[in-house]
Amino acid sequence: MPILSVTHLSLTLNSQQILKNVTFSVEQGEVIGLIGPNGSGKTTLFNVLSGFLKPTSGVMHFRDADITSVSPAQRARLGIGRVFQNFGIFREMTLEENVLVALEALPKEQRMLLGSIKDAVKGTLDMVGLSHHAKKKAGSLSGGQMRLLEIARTLKSGKELFLLDEPTAGVSPKMTRQVADLIGELKKEGKTVLIIEHDLPFISQICDRVLVLDVGEVVLSGAPREIKHDKKLQEIYFGADAAPY
Amino acid sequence: MPRFYNLPEMPFFFHLITVIAIALPAQLGYTFVFGRGKILHFGPIGVSTVAAYGTFLTLNATGSFLLGLCAGVLMALAFSLLFAWLSFRLDSDGLGIMSIAVYLALFAVVLNWTSLTRGALGLPRIPRVPFADSAMSFALLTTGACVLWTLFFLWLDRTKLARQVSALAEGEWHAKALGISRAGAHIAAFVILGLTLASDNFFYAQYYHLLHPSDYYFPAFVSLLMITVAGKPGSTPGAIIATILLSLLKEGLRFLPFPSAVLGPLRLMLFGIILLAAVWIQRDTLFPKKRTI
Ligand SMILES: Nc1ncnc2c1ncn2[C@@H]1O[C@H](COP(=O)(O)OP(=O)(O)O)[C@@H](O)[C@H]1O
Ligand SMILES: [Mg+2]
Repeated sequence: MPILSVTHLSLTLNSQQILKNVTFSVEQGEVIGLIGPNGSGKTTLFNVLSGFLKPTSGVMHFRDADITSVSPAQRARLGIGRVFQNFGIFREMTLEENVLVALEALPKEQRMLLGSIKDAVKGTLDMVGLSHHAKKKAGSLSGGQMRLLEIARTLKSGKELFLLDEPTAGVSPKMTRQVADLIGELKKEGKTVLIIEHDLPFISQICDRVLVLDVGEVVLSGAPREIKHDKKLQEIYFGADAAPY
Repeated sequence: MPRFYNLPEMPFFFHLITVIAIALPAQLGYTFVFGRGKILHFGPIGVSTVAAYGTFLTLNATGSFLLGLCAGVLMALAFSLLFAWLSFRLDSDGLGIMSIAVYLALFAVVLNWTSLTRGALGLPRIPRVPFADSAMSFALLTTGACVLWTLFFLWLDRTKLARQVSALAEGEWHAKALGISRAGAHIAAFVILGLTLASDNFFYAQYYHLLHPSDYYFPAFVSLLMITVAGKPGSTPGAIIATILLSLLKEGLRFLPFPSAVLGPLRLMLFGIILLAAVWIQRDTLFPKKRTI
């Protein structure tokens, strides 16, 4: 059974159709790249998947549960984790509080599994080498550090499906390597990952499969090797009127 | 203008202590909701009004302080939940406007339902709880309540609820994506504020032996707002210091050789200027930049 399946999903906002009949499914443990030009609806699709936008039509299933009208907080509790394009870290809170607030939001049974919450917080910060900054405000971190922290806390809070929105955006080239390694870690742990990314080499390196979105429609899907030379992809990314990314 | 009755005959020191002890709990409650949570709830004085009238109308009718307190708490809870519900139905700015409107509506009801509330005359001859009738014992009683509330808020600041309220304030979507329920956290914040308002208003009219509607005019809210902003928004110690300093200032103004017709507006103007300065100084941190996703 797929961990996520999306069927005939459409979204119209202000009489503009932003998602058109999107259908796909994701198996447990798969890493899937979601690519497409700017404004093609990738972030919007994530907003629908995490429950912030209600689709105009279509259904979504997480495992065997219909989540189409489940609230964002409830989806998070079911195991859907979101990493935001513009950082989901709370800059006014300390690093420690940033992790704590995520772990505390877990359903009770899951929180019990963590054992000591204090150790879990420390473990999370250790994972990304930030425990010596535990009491600092997160606003003082670099983009790369924030991204690492956000992914680590999502991992530590037991999420099964990761929605990563441009995890290397706003991250220095040096830190990008570390972010990529951490995503590799997710894959090793058998997590399912949906990742929006512009960097095609990066995508083909870590993804099992790629979905190409254009003007709100899935126009192409397949293994990175298969689609790399597809005419459609070339057109979208390098065509005359395509927005450069 | 509010709070310009003849001072009860008691040492000025007890008066200061009592005034601060009565004001502080709701100040801390509002610091939690508005300072930490950035929730534009501009109707706390509306909750105060219904809590105060609920308390003392019940007291007058039954002669029981306990029943009066219960009635005040119930009224405060009911209207806090109303404001919480509004906050879920409206966006942030909408709530700001709507909460003022609800407050004005509540106030109009209190003023005009004269058969029940005696309207602009207020409720006179309000007794104090029998065991705290003297100036000193009343100061002790209110200080006791205030200390308990203060300890509660110092504890609250380190709880999960405080972190969730902060997280929601900084990025609502980001918080929800972690599994934080806005309804749960915000209802708790509104309810806590409501309880502090019920507590303050249980003592306030007793202290002056009078429940007068002029104490629930809009300037009462300006004072609440000003102290929250002046005391570093969201910080409990900041709110405590600001409450003490501004209460001293407010009470100190009595010693200026002006008639009360001048002192009232003067005080309001002074507070307006302090509010302006505090907002200006904290303009970057009062409201964090709207987060994009
Ligand atoms: N809340 C919204 N209301 C109206 N239009 C929106 C909203 N969110 C996104 N859009 C529009 O949807 C389209 C897709 O945006 P987005 O999903 O952010 O693209 P991408 O992430 O692929 O760059 C854009 O044209 C954008 O203007
Ligand atoms: Mg995007």
